[in-house]
Amino acid sequence: MNTLAWWLIRAQFRTRRTATLLSMLAIALGVALGYAIHLINDAALADFGRAMKTVQGDPDAVVGARDSAGGVPVATINAIASDPAVLVVAPVIETRVRVNSVRTPVRLIGLDVFSAAAVMPWLLPRQDDRSTTGGILDGDVYASPSLLAKLGLQAGATVTLARGDREWLTKIAGDLPATGPDDLLLVADIAWVQERFGPNEAVGEGRVRLAPEVDLATWRTALQARLPPGLLVRAAEDDRTRVSNLSRAYRVNLNVLALVALLTGAFLVFATQLTAIAQRSTQFALLGVLGLSPRMRLLQVLLEGLAIGIPGAVVGLGLGYALAFAFTQILGGDLGGGYFSGSTPSIVPQPAPLLGFLALGCVASLAGALYPAYLNRVQPLAQALKTGFAQSRAAFSARSRWLLAALLALAAFVLAQMPPLFELPLAGYAAIALVLMIGVSSAPLFTRALFGWLAKRRLPAAQQIAIQNVAQAPLMAQVAASGLIISFALTASMVIMVASFRVAVDHWLDHVLPAPLYLRGKATPLPQELLDALAGTQTPFARIERSAQETLVIDPQRPSVALLVRELERDNPAARLPFTGPVVAPPADMPVVWISEPMHEIYRIAPGQTLRLPLRGHDVEVFVGGVWRDYSRQFGAVAIGRDDFVRLGGRFAPSELALWPLPGQERLASDWLAPWTDRYGLELADSLEIRQLSLSIFDKSFAVTYALEAAAMLIGLFGLAVTLAASVWLRARELATLGALGFDRRMLGRAVMVEGALIALVGLLIGLACGVAIGGILTHVINPQAFHWRMALTIPWPAVIAGALLTLAAAIVASRYAARQATRLPVARVLASAD
Amino acid sequence: MPNSSCPMLAVADLAKRYADVGRPLFSGIDFAVAAGEIVALVGESGIGKSTLLNCIAGLETADCGSVHIGPHALDMVRLDEAARAALRARNIGFVFQAFHVLPTLTVAQNIIVPLLLARVPSGEHATRTQALLERVGLAGFADRWPASLSGGELQRVAIARALVHRPALILADEPTGNLDPRTASDVLSLLLERVREQRAGALIVTHSQHVAQCCDRVLTLTANGLA
Amino acid sequence: MRRRTFLATPLLLPTLTRATPGATAVAYPPVIPGARLTFPRDHGAHPDFRTEWWYVTGVLDLPQRDIGFQLTFFRSRPGTAEALDSPIAARQILFAHAALTLPGDRLRHSERAARANLGAAFSSEDCDISIGAWRMRRLDRRDGEAFSLQVNSPQFSYDLLLTPTQPLLLQGEGGYSRKGSRPELASYYVSWPQLQVAGFLVSDGKRLAAHGRAWFDHEWSTAILGDGAVGWDWIGINLADGGALMAFRLRDARAATVFAHATWRDAAGHVRQFAAADIRFTPLRLWASPRSGGRYPVQMEIRFGEHTVRTLPVLDDQELTTKRPAPVAYWEGVVKVDGSLEGRGYLEMTGYAGRLTL
Repeated sequence: MNTLAWWLIRAQFRTRRTATLLSMLAIALGVALGYAIHLINDAALADFGRAMKTVQGDPDAVVGARDSAGGVPVATINAIASDPAVLVVAPVIETRVRVNSVRTPVRLIGLDVFSAAAVMPWLLPRQDDRSTTGGILDGDVYASPSLLAKLGLQAGATVTLARGDREWLTKIAGDLPATGPDDLLLVADIAWVQERFGPNEAVGEGRVRLAPEVDLATWRTALQARLPPGLLVRAAEDDRTRVSNLSRAYRVNLNVLALVALLTGAFLVFATQLTAIAQRSTQFALLGVLGLSPRMRLLQVLLEGLAIGIPGAVVGLGLGYALAFAFTQILGGDLGGGYFSGSTPSIVPQPAPLLGFLALGCVASLAGALYPAYLNRVQPLAQALKTGFAQSRAAFSARSRWLLAALLALAAFVLAQMPPLFELPLAGYAAIALVLMIGVSSAPLFTRALFGWLAKRRLPAAQQIAIQNVAQAPLMAQVAASGLIISFALTASMVIMVASFRVAVDHWLDHVLPAPLYLRGKATPLPQELLDALAGTQTPFARIERSAQETLVIDPQRPSVALLVRELERDNPAARLPFTGPVVAPPADMPVVWISEPMHEIYRIAPGQTLRLPLRGHDVEVFVGGVWRDYSRQFGAVAIGRDDFVRLGGRFAPSELALWPLPGQERLASDWLAPWTDRYGLELADSLEIRQLSLSIFDKSFAVTYALEAAAMLIGLFGLAVTLAASVWLRARELATLGALGFDRRMLGRAVMVEGALIALVGLLIGLACGVAIGGILTHVINPQAFHWRMALTIPWPAVIAGALLTLAAAIVASRYAARQATRLPVARVLASAD
Repeated sequence: MPNSSCPMLAVADLAKRYADVGRPLFSGIDFAVAAGEIVALVGESGIGKSTLLNCIAGLETADCGSVHIGPHALDMVRLDEAARAALRARNIGFVFQAFHVLPTLTVAQNIIVPLLLARVPSGEHATRTQALLERVGLAGFADRWPASLSGGELQRVAIARALVHRPALILADEPTGNLDPRTASDVLSLLLERVREQRAGALIVTHSQHVAQCCDRVLTLTANGLA
Repeated sequence: MRRRTFLATPLLLPTLTRATPGATAVAYPPVIPGARLTFPRDHGAHPDFRTEWWYVTGVLDLPQRDIGFQLTFFRSRPGTAEALDSPIAARQILFAHAALTLPGDRLRHSERAARANLGAAFSSEDCDISIGAWRMRRLDRRDGEAFSLQVNSPQFSYDLLLTPTQPLLLQGEGGYSRKGSRPELASYYVSWPQLQVAGFLVSDGKRLAAHGRAWFDHEWSTAILGDGAVGWDWIGINLADGGALMAFRLRDARAATVFAHATWRDAAGHVRQFAAADIRFTPLRLWASPRSGGRYPVQMEIRFGEHTVRTLPVLDDQELTTKRPAPVAYWEGVVKVDGSLEGRGYLEMTGYAGRLTL
C-alpha cells in the first residue's frame, strides 16, 4: 500500500510540478515568516535578558525606589542585610554619564565589590595581581572592553565623567572581562559614584540574595510591609515578566500575521489538492473500483498534502533562519519596533521551536488537504469513473448563505466590541478571521450573481461560454477568488491601518512639537550654567520651556511609566498636551497630573479620579485632569506641572528644552547654543528633523508588516493561477469541444483570461470590502487593545485602488498561464477519450 | 486457482430502483457464473446493464438480493464499503471500455497496482507482471508510459491488470467498444483465452454481437428481467 | 594572634587598593608597650589601626562530643578611600569567617565580607561586630557579662552564648604582645579562655544543643609579620584542669622558627610567659591535603619550659581553601592535647600550601 501511495505522490509531483512547488513555497513562506519572527524575538529577548543579567546579576529580589529619582536609604540596606533570611544585599547606584564629552551617555554602575561578587559577578573588574597602583576602592573606574574599544581608550587613561554640570576626573584602571560585546558600561565603587553624582545617603537599589531555604513570596510580603511606601521589592520573576511584557503585544501581532501567511499557505494547498483530486477523480475512482479502500482514498490526499507540507516547512525553516539573520542585521532584534535598542542579537535555533514550526507547516498543509481528501473519499466511484469530477451541488441555498454571512457579520461585530483577553486583542483577531470567512463564503453568491447576470448579456461567443462555464460550476471560481479575497483583504487592511496610524502620528507630531528648536541632554540633566545663561536677558530666544523626565514603577510586573515634568499651566494644559477628551479642572488644593492614553487604558484611570504617585519615598495623591494622546510611550506616561512637582518635593532638573528663537534670529540662536552643545554633548534638533526621524522610525517599525503583505499577495496570486489552470484542465472536454466546433486557440485563451479577470475582479471587490472592515478592526480594536494607541480610520483610497489595479493586472497575467494550458490542450485526444 | 466446484459469481433475486423516482430498474435477477465460464450480458441502452454490473462490483448498492463472489462466496450486498473494496481487490478484475490505464504510472506499475491492493507479497510482483505482459503480447513494454501506447495496447495492459492478481471474477464493460474491429477481435480473444486459462468466471457487458457470440452463454437484460 | 587577617586582607586588597602604603600615607598608630587597656572599651574596635580581629573557637561536650566551632571577625583598614568623605567609603572593611568541625565527617565553613556602614557594622565602645545577620557582641546581663555569637549560612548556623568562668588573660606585657625581633612588630592581644558555651547549632537541618568550652581572642595591630616569616603555627587550648595554654611560632621559608611565644595560665590562675628560646615545635605526623597539596604537621610536639605536649586532631582534614579573592589554603581545627598538660582547643597552621605572599 505504501508503494502505491509513494507512486501516486511521485506522479503527482511530476505532472503538477508548478502547482506543487507553488504550494510548497506558500507553506515555506508561512513557516519562514513565523519562524523568523520567533527566532528574532527569542534572540532579542535572550540578548536583552543576558544584558540585563550582566548588569543586574541574578538576585532573588531587588529593593528599589518606585521613582527613578528616588533611592534606597543606606540605613534600609543595612537593615535588610541584617535579616537572617538574607545572605547578601548588593547595593548599586546606576546613572548615566558622558565620557570625555562624547555625546552618547554611558551607564555608570557604582557597586560594592564585596557584595557584588555574590550577585553580580559579571560586573567585577579584572583581577590583576601585578597592578601596583590604583584600585576601585580608591576611585578608579573600570570599563567594559566594548566601551574601551568604542572610545578608543586603554587601561590607564584619565577620563572625565560628566553628568549635568557635575564632573569626575578619574582613571580607567582596567576592564570588565565578563561583560558582553553589547555592554557599554563603566563600573566604579559605589561610594565614589555617590559622592560624585548622588544620591546622598542613599543608593539606587539593593539586590538581594536570599538564604536557600527562604520562601521568596513570604519574605517579600513581610519586607514590603516594613518598607516605606516609596520603596518596592521586586522579585526576579517580575523582571522577566516585565521584559516579556515589553514586546509581548508586538510579538503576538507579528505572530498573528505570520499565522495568516501560513493560513494562506494552507489555502494554497487546499486549492492545489482540490484541483488535484478533481483532475485525478477518474484515476482515484479507478483505484477505488480496483479495490483501494475508502480510508486510503482519504489518506492518499492527506499524504500528498503532507508531501507538500514537509518539504515546504523544511525549506521554510531554512528560509526563516536566513530571514531572521538578515532582519537582525538590518533592523535589530526588535524588528524596528524600538523595544530593545542597540543590539544585534545572535540567532540560536532551539530544537523544540524548530520541531514546532515544522509541525505547524505540516498541520497547515494537512488542514488544506482535509476538505479535498473528504471530497475524494465521498466521490461516487462509478459516476466519477465515467464522467470525472462531480461537483457536488451547493450544500446551502443562496438564502441560507446570506443568512450565514449575516450571522458571521453579527458575530464579528460582537467580537470587535469585546475587551482584550489576557491583555491581548484575541477577540479582535477572531473578528478578523470571521470577516475573512464572510468574504470567502459570500464569494459564490457574488460569483453566481455576477456571472449569471453577465451570461444574459450579448457578448462574443468565447466570453459568453467562459462566463457560462463559471456560472454553472462555481466551485473552482470560488476557490480561485477566495485566495485573492484573503490576501487582498489582509493587504488592504494593513495599508489602511498603517496609513491611519501614520496620519495620526503626523497630526500628533504637530501638536507635541510646538517649538522650532529642541535641546536635549539625552537622559542627563542639563548643566545649570546653561540654564542660568538662558535665564539672562541677552539671549536670542523669545520663549523657553524646560522639561524633565523620570520613570515611575506603578506595577513591578509592567514596564515603568514615564513621568514628564513640564512647565504646564494648571488651568490650560491643552496648550501643550493633545487631549483626547475634556479636561477636568482640579480641586485648588490638589496637585494635578494629566495621563497619557496608554496609561489610561493600562491602569484604567479616568479623568476626575485620583492617582497615587510614588514620589520621593512617598505615595502622593494627585488629581487626574485629563487624558492626552501619546504615540511614543506605549507603557504609559504622566505629565505633571513643574510647580506641582516641586511642591511635592521633587527636584526639577531639566533635561530638555523647547526653544522659540526671536523672529529672524534663528541662525543666531543656533550659533548661541553651539558652544554649549559642544561642551556638554547636548543634542540640538529642529522640530522638522525630529519629525522626520520619528516618521522614519515609524516606517521602519512596519517594515516586517510590508514583507508579510507582499507574501500574502504573492500567495493569493499563486492561488489564482493554480486554480484557474486546474479549472481549465477540468473543463478540458468542454474547451476541446469548443475547439472542435471551430474556436481557435487564441479565442479559447482569451475566454480563459476573461474568466480569470472576472474572478479576480470579484475577489478584489470582496477583498476590498473585507479589507476596509479589517482595517477598521485593526485600527479601532487591535491597536488600542494591544498597544493602547487610538486613532481615526483613514483610508488611503489612491494606494488601495492602485493596489487593486496592480493585483488585477497580475491576476490577468496569472490567467495567461492558465490560458496557455487551454491552448495546449490536445483537442483530439481529449475528445477521443470522452465517452 | 479458483475452486471450480462452486460458482465464481452467484446473483440471487437482485433488484435496484431508480434513486429519484423509485421505479424499479431491474428486479429478480438470478444467475451464476461458474469457474472458467464466460457470460455475456446484453441489452438495450439504458436498460440497466451498467448498474447491474456496478451492483455486482459493489460500486452501487442493490436494494435487495445477494451477490456472492469468489471461492468464499462473500455477499457483496451485505458488506460495508471498506469490505467491498477489499473483496474487489482480491477477487475481481476489471476491464473497461475507456481502458482506464493510469497515465502517471508505467505499464508495469499499472499492472502491479492490483497486486498491491490484494497485498500479494512484493517478491512475486516482477515475475507475475513479466509473465502476464508476455501473455498479452506486451513483452518489453514494462517501462513504457501509457501515453505512448495505442488503444489496443492499452486494453491489453488493462487485461493484464485485470488478471494479474488471479481474481475469481472478471467484470468487463464493453471491453472492445473503443477499438477498431480488427484490434477488438484480437483483444477479445486474448481476454477470453486468458480468462479460461486462469479458470476465472467472467461477465462481459456488451452491445457487440460478435463479442456475445464468443462467450459461453449470453444473458439478455430486458425490462422484465433476465432472459 | 589571628592569622587570617594576613591571608584575607593582603590577598584581596591588591586589586582594590594601592599596595604601596606610601602612596596614601595613612598614619596608622604604632603598637607600643605600656599602653593601658580598659574594658569594655578595648573589647570594641580600634579603627585607626591597620588590622584587628575577634576570634572565638570552642569545642563541645557530650552529646556533641568534640564538635568544634570557630567564628572570626576581621577588621581591616587597608588605606583605601581615605580621602573620600562618605560614610560608605571603603575605609574599613570587615571579613567574617565561620567553621564547624564534625569529627569523623568533615569541616564546613562559610565566609562574609562587607565594608563598614554598608552591610557591616562595628562599635568602638564595646565588642559588637556584624556583617549582615552574623554578629558577635558582648552583653552585660544581670548575672554577669557574656558573649553572643550568631551565624547562619546555607551550610550551618549557630546561636551561642559564652559565659566567662575566669578573668581576662592579657597576653605578653599587659596586652602588648611581641611578634618579632623588633619592638614595632607587635600587637595588642587579649584572650579569654575557659568560656562556658550554651546554645544550639544547626547542621544538616538538625538542631543540636551545645555545651562546651570556648576561647576568645581579640587582637589589633599595625605591623606583625616580619623577620622573613612566611607562616606560623598557633594553638589555643583550654586545659582540662581549668588552665589555659597559648603558643605560637613564626616560620621562615626554610621552616625555621624566627619567633615564638607561649603563655600558660595554670588552674590556680598563675600566668607564665615563655620566650622564644624556651619553646620548640616538632612535627610528628604530616597530613597531605588532596586539594592544595600542602603537607601539614597535624600532630606536633610542643615543648615550653619543662612541659611537653602533643597535638592530636579530631579530624585530619580540617584544611580550609578559599577560591575568592585568591586561592588560599590553611589548616585550622580542633585538636586534643596530651602530654604533661591535657586539654582541647584549636590548632592553626599557615604557609604550608604555597608561599604566603604579602
